[in-house]
Amino acid sequence: MLILFRNLFSPPRHMILLVIAVWVGLTLAEKRAERNNISRDDLNNITFYGLIAFIIGGRVSFVLQNIPAFLKTPLDVISINTSIFDPVGAMAAAIITGLVYGQRRKLLAWPTLDSLTPFFAITVIGVGLSHLAAGTAFGKETDLAWGIKLWNAMRHPTQIYEILASLLTFILLWFKKHDPRSGILFLTFAALTTGSQLFIQAFRGDSLLIFNGLRQSQIFAWAVLIIIFILLELRLKEKPA
Amino acid sequence: MQQHQRITLYILFLITGAAWIILSADDTAMSASSGNTAPQAGFSAPDFTLKTPQGETYTLSELRGHAILVNLWATWCPPCRAEMPAIEKIYQEFKEQGLVVLAINMTYQDDPFAVVPFINEYGLTFPILLDETGDVASAYQLRSLPSSYFINRAGIIQDVVIGGPMSEALLRTRIERILQ
Repeated sequence: MLILFRNLFSPPRHMILLVIAVWVGLTLAEKRAERNNISRDDLNNITFYGLIAFIIGGRVSFVLQNIPAFLKTPLDVISINTSIFDPVGAMAAAIITGLVYGQRRKLLAWPTLDSLTPFFAITVIGVGLSHLAAGTAFGKETDLAWGIKLWNAMRHPTQIYEILASLLTFILLWFKKHDPRSGILFLTFAALTTGSQLFIQAFRGDSLLIFNGLRQSQIFAWAVLIIIFILLELRLKEKPA
Repeated sequence: MQQHQRITLYILFLITGAAWIILSADDTAMSASSGNTAPQAGFSAPDFTLKTPQGETYTLSELRGHAILVNLWATWCPPCRAEMPAIEKIYQEFKEQGLVVLAINMTYQDDPFAVVPFINEYGLTFPILLDETGDVASAYQLRSLPSSYFINRAGIIQDVVIGGPMSEALLRTRIERILQ
């Protein structure tokens, strides 16, 4: 089953999983948009512009970081190969575009983020599926019964842990009673996703290690969790609109 | 839930998280992939010995100390054909700095008589190796053509690019990393 899945969606076809996740996520987000006083048009537009900025920003950021390589062949900037991409730059471009669009349309940040939460939650599931298909974000070796054969060893199925955790997060949030205080839904999603990453990263086999074997990604997740808890507390103190 | 209860819960979560980070630290202080062989970034590149159409033999492990681009291709694959001129150009640009290009033709699923005319047509000067049994395709878990593996001087795969065609600029960015 796993082999069939990996063959079917092997790179570069694993991108299809992300595209499907984005489409499903946006469809579900649309269903709940009006609950947060965000119009479907605004939700669609902010996502559309965000995705365009993600794609262009990822490419531009990669090029800017490798200017000497592109000076000799400037037309390569528009090459169709998806490897010319910087995910961090792409995220930054998408966030900036979302902020600019939100400000122009006078959208409130927290209700907008709440509306986008189903989209984020499903996209995270899609990321897990694409990791599984590509064999990236792989686990460390294990002799546990549920280990999967990957990269010539039995490994923790960290991609499956990731998919299950994000699926559970989505289910919890989808069926959670609506909180009239804006921002709570998004911050709960952020806390659950960051918390599960902090836990799952311990089983990863490709972690960047610092300070005697501590995983950089876990320390980062822990720091993010502090910020989320502070924001959550500040939002909970607010009176419902 | 009261505010003080929530704050206690946050602190409890953070203490548990910190304990988990320390408990789950990799005490070997090594990446789990080190020492293993697999066609994935961070692993040692699977070794192989193959011949060129002229009968010259190349063994990957004997080229340790060089930056190596292993490119798996076939004559019938359009993106493989499209990226060959870029690979040739980059090879000319970096070969003096220690770049070795091993372009492995998937001969077991290709027309063996088409390989030499292909080399001549594109004027390729780097070694073209023939995978007649599919052993290298199997070792590299080949699923899509072209597939390119950028191997650093220590024999570790630093980057993998599945699909193509790769542009000169993309090749340049990846090659500069493995030459360091």
